[in-house]
Amino acid sequence: MTLRLSIPWRDARAPVLQPRHGGGVPSAAAGSSRRSGKTQRREEAGLKRANFGDGPGLPTLLLLPQLLILLFFFFIPSLRALMQSVLLSDPFGTSVQFVWFDNFRTLLASSDYRQSIAMTFWFTVAQNVLTLGSALVLAFATDRIVRGRSVYRTMILLPYAIAPAIAGILWAFLFNPAVGPLAQVLHRLGIVWDPNLNPTDALILVTLAASWKHICYDYIFLVVGLLAVPVSLMEAAAVDGAGLIRRFVSIALPMLGPTIFFLTVMNFIYGFFETFAIIDAVTKGGPAGATNILVYKVFVDGFVNLDLGSSAAQSVLLMSFALICTLLQFRYFDRKVNYGV
Amino acid sequence: MGRKVAFIAALFGALALVGPAQARVEVQWWHAMSGVLGDRLNELVEKFNKSQDKYTVVAVAKGNYDEVTNGVIAAYRAKRPPEMVQIAERGYMTMLLSGAIVPVQDLVEQKGYKIDFSDFIKPVASFWSYKGRMSAMPFNSSTPIFWYNKDHFQKAGFDKPAETWQELEKQLYAIKSKGISECGTVLPGDFYWSLLENYSAINNQPYGTLANGFDGLGTEFVYNKTKVVSQVARLKKWLDDGVMQIAGQGFSPEQLFTSGRCSTFVNSTASHGNIERNATINWSATFLPHESDIDPPLNSTIGGGAIWVMKGHTPERYEAVAAFLDFVAQPETQVWWHGATGYVPATNRAYALARERGYYKDHPTREIAVLQLSRGTPNENSRGFRFGNFVQTMLAQRQEVEAVFAGQKQPQQAMDDAVKRGNEILRQFEKLNAGKTPETERP
Repeated sequence: MTLRLSIPWRDARAPVLQPRHGGGVPSAAAGSSRRSGKTQRREEAGLKRANFGDGPGLPTLLLLPQLLILLFFFFIPSLRALMQSVLLSDPFGTSVQFVWFDNFRTLLASSDYRQSIAMTFWFTVAQNVLTLGSALVLAFATDRIVRGRSVYRTMILLPYAIAPAIAGILWAFLFNPAVGPLAQVLHRLGIVWDPNLNPTDALILVTLAASWKHICYDYIFLVVGLLAVPVSLMEAAAVDGAGLIRRFVSIALPMLGPTIFFLTVMNFIYGFFETFAIIDAVTKGGPAGATNILVYKVFVDGFVNLDLGSSAAQSVLLMSFALICTLLQFRYFDRKVNYGV
Repeated sequence: MGRKVAFIAALFGALALVGPAQARVEVQWWHAMSGVLGDRLNELVEKFNKSQDKYTVVAVAKGNYDEVTNGVIAAYRAKRPPEMVQIAERGYMTMLLSGAIVPVQDLVEQKGYKIDFSDFIKPVASFWSYKGRMSAMPFNSSTPIFWYNKDHFQKAGFDKPAETWQELEKQLYAIKSKGISECGTVLPGDFYWSLLENYSAINNQPYGTLANGFDGLGTEFVYNKTKVVSQVARLKKWLDDGVMQIAGQGFSPEQLFTSGRCSTFVNSTASHGNIERNATINWSATFLPHESDIDPPLNSTIGGGAIWVMKGHTPERYEAVAAFLDFVAQPETQVWWHGATGYVPATNRAYALARERGYYKDHPTREIAVLQLSRGTPNENSRGFRFGNFVQTMLAQRQEVEAVFAGQKQPQQAMDDAVKRGNEILRQFEKLNAGKTPETERP
């Protein structure tokens, strides 16, 4: 059976449009070729392509809102950022100088910025490993929980409903060396803990907070991915004597490949761009710039320091980084992912 | 027919009555006050609106100082700025050279109001004026003072905090070692302002060349060659010895003080409102300490904000703005604002009025800021700080100090780096504003 994805009202109008199809070729075969042309195209459309009838009208109309949003919230701002990145201008825009690539040169020469790049890299990788690792364990455990599974799932999904800034404040409070209960526990264990003073502690704290906030996202996808693993395969492996871990590593994991790949990309994007609120709430980029990730630096330089040129140059670089990362991921990792399940 | 005419006549009559009320000119004032201070500001605006029937000022809270600045920049670029905006002292040069403002003295004089600008108390007047003319209306001026927990000091056998850093250090160590409180003091959130900039002013240390920036854009930081370095080293030592704590994100230094956990803290005089409301401890306040070899200590400098008037509005609206600024400058308003918030009264007359009424007998700590600001003869080192991109240079400095606290750098190294970074930022500002004199467009 072919799945028809045509739109009903468009179909109803089809007979009216049909004469145009035949054009001016009134041959004997015209009748049959006309019919088969239409159906054939629909069959070709098959499962993947929706049939929107003739002409680009309707598809364009349907795409328009998204295109407009992209235009106003992505393309125009990107162009402005590109322009601003070669300018030196005062915040009110009353005096503007064209400075070629000075902004980029100053930026790349500053140790501050290089530190931020290195920091962002470690932060994103650590966050990625931590998030994906814990989400995998939690997702695999979901199957093993018989009683209260929905409670378990809800508990894991809950952090997603908390605003990042609030989640950040929570973590900052819990681990505040002066008043935070968890910091007191650490102190009692003899661990010197002070994210306000110690850059490493601060980095650990924001990594934990950012991962905690994102585990649920990965978890949802992984649970669904695991549901797609055929039970028969797992049972067969169990009968063959494969243990829990063996079954997970040799069967579930490879089949989750595409999902994990997708999540890695998403986690990188999350780490790069969306952890802003958490950094702002937990450390404000400090101490000594230890948690000043690139996207937070863009914000501080642009909206606090009012150094628009540098901020624009940074956002251009950031955009290129993200682009290169994603391209590399797709080019090299994508090959290792097996989609033919 | 007759009825209809009567009805229409009545309608017009009603409109005529409503008329004057509707004809009120409305102007916007964007500000950065929240909490108790925000409530007081709204009361102030309410008072003005009730005091006459021509103008309405609408106060709009736009977040913190940075957010207000960003908001007004975006609005100006979109050609829809508010009439008035409250900007922090650090934004002075940015605003002055922006070409987006109308100097308040020009505006007020042109609209025929007689504000005695020479009556503003010295540190306030000299900070907010350019070439002897007031650029912005001083509104919330503050200065850091030294707050302490009376009980803690008494228990440790002291009457009150010592006047010098050296003596104070002994006291704080004594309080800590006797176990009277967990920490002697807490690092202020804006320590760069109170413990480095004001420290330099009080102890007669130069902070930058060209009279700390008052004499031109070619100024350079020099605080890496002054006592500021040893001050940073002192703070680091206190931190290592547990005499000083850092409150950290999500928690304010003020809370550590008002809860009785830390015995002292340095903060703006503007926290009077909050502390009076929240503190459960027996508190008092005094002057900021000074170095033992400095005699006499100089005045501290102001912080806080002022009201700037934005360009590009109609004459009627500027009428309303001038009326409001005149209202703000009235001694009565100033005295009320001083009492309600803890900010210093901006004019000598307002200060005298508050004294006359015996206000300081009941509220002695409220007078500290005024006395500290007008102490001695201000010189190049204590007149104030006027640097371009001041927020940016401050953040760079802050980062370097944090590197000292984290044990990554020695104080001297960190201050050298801070000065180097700061000077680069100053040069950028100089390049951008080369040859610019602030606009004095007549409204």
